[in-house]
Amino acid sequence: MTHTTRVSLEPAWILHQHPYRDSSLLLEVFSQEYGRVGLIARGARAARSRWQSQLQILRPLALSWNLRGELGTLTGAEPRGRVVMFPGRQVLCACYLNELLLRLITRLDPHPELFSAYEQAVDALADNEEQALRLFEKRLLQALGYGLLLDHEYDNGQPVEEQGLYEYHLERGPVRREQANPDGLFLQGSSLLSLHRDELQDVRSGREVKQLMRAALGLYLGARPLRTREVLRQLSSLSRNAPADMATLSPNSPAG
Amino acid sequence: MSGSRLIGRLIESLRCLPGVGPKSAQRMAFHLLEYNRDGGRQLAEALSMAMEQVGNCSECRTLSEQTICLLCSNDQRDRSLLCVVETPADVQALEQSTGYRGVYFVLMGHLSPLDGIGPEALGLDLLEARLASAEVKELILATNPTVEGEATAHFVSEIARAQGVRTTRIAHGVPMGGELEYIDGGTLSHAFAGRQEV
Ligand SMILES: [Zn+2]
Repeated sequence: MTHTTRVSLEPAWILHQHPYRDSSLLLEVFSQEYGRVGLIARGARAARSRWQSQLQILRPLALSWNLRGELGTLTGAEPRGRVVMFPGRQVLCACYLNELLLRLITRLDPHPELFSAYEQAVDALADNEEQALRLFEKRLLQALGYGLLLDHEYDNGQPVEEQGLYEYHLERGPVRREQANPDGLFLQGSSLLSLHRDELQDVRSGREVKQLMRAALGLYLGARPLRTREVLRQLSSLSRNAPADMATLSPNSPAG
Repeated sequence: MSGSRLIGRLIESLRCLPGVGPKSAQRMAFHLLEYNRDGGRQLAEALSMAMEQVGNCSECRTLSEQTICLLCSNDQRDRSLLCVVETPADVQALEQSTGYRGVYFVLMGHLSPLDGIGPEALGLDLLEARLASAEVKELILATNPTVEGEATAHFVSEIARAQGVRTTRIAHGVPMGGELEYIDGGTLSHAFAGRQEV
């Protein structure tokens, strides 16, 4: 016999939602203590649903549900804290975070430390987008058990030096090199160390770390491309001669 | 079920309608067969013609069997006003309850990156070309006040700004007859952000 879990007002975010049956929604939720959960919100698409304006992505929520088997049933939803309006660009970056979570973590695998990393990243998007995204990617890899070695060479244990040049071997770590070649993944020691210290201030380390993260995540994402990346690409080709805000989205878009 | 293949198939097919479960599908099927065969024949014909012939207007993208829909080809409409909405149902709603005399652009959805719905699916290239033609003097954003609807509005307004077209946004907020304490935080903060001089 399956046991029913009742969860009450758990801090959570909606990562994505799909229409379900006639008037319901299937919510993909990321919660503090239970990790990813799939919840059915019955009647949420009906004209007079009490949940209609409540159940949205990028809103801090407190959700209650009953879970029996794989999908739960939403029993309550309340706002948690102030509603922040995200400008268009941050919505796309946050959707990128959501897509990474949906693709890389499985349902009902608790990740409380990743939950707080997600909240920090969403908060920090407005101030320093690149840094917010890269640090979340780093935490995500750690949570999955694939944390990157950043401050030591993997073969001889030598500490990474600011001035050195390193080739990064995925799933192993950095190794010092005299010069770069076009086939490898090369970074300055200073880039590795700034990621290690969680501070990505300068442009060069931002670019190098982004390449490293993209390659590292690529190992686990597999061949299927990220949809948010494709949408960012389309926006960039649309806005080739658009003003600054859109033009900066891509091709050097923060989400890759 | 009932020993008839055709009836079974009819009931199954009716279930594609929103709000129709197995019970009501069965009731509809028997009703048409027992009491209203003419109505059923008309329904069948209307359905098959609409499914075959209705496409999208080449100007505003709304559903239409004409290349250019009746609204877009109506020379009484003011073509310098362009209202951007998410769905054909939104056009209906605005037509029925406002005195708007301009024309529309129907996105047929909103930005939804995780579903792969981006600028191409929303026809933003078509909208950009339309704005570049200098016919439009004011673009009115009437997307839904959801996170994705707002993001869509943001990018549409960026395109309009790049083309030098004035952009306005319909007001969102406290419903008529609503009381502040019962309104959810999102709606209330929208209403507050969009406050106006009195
Ligand atoms: Zn039209």
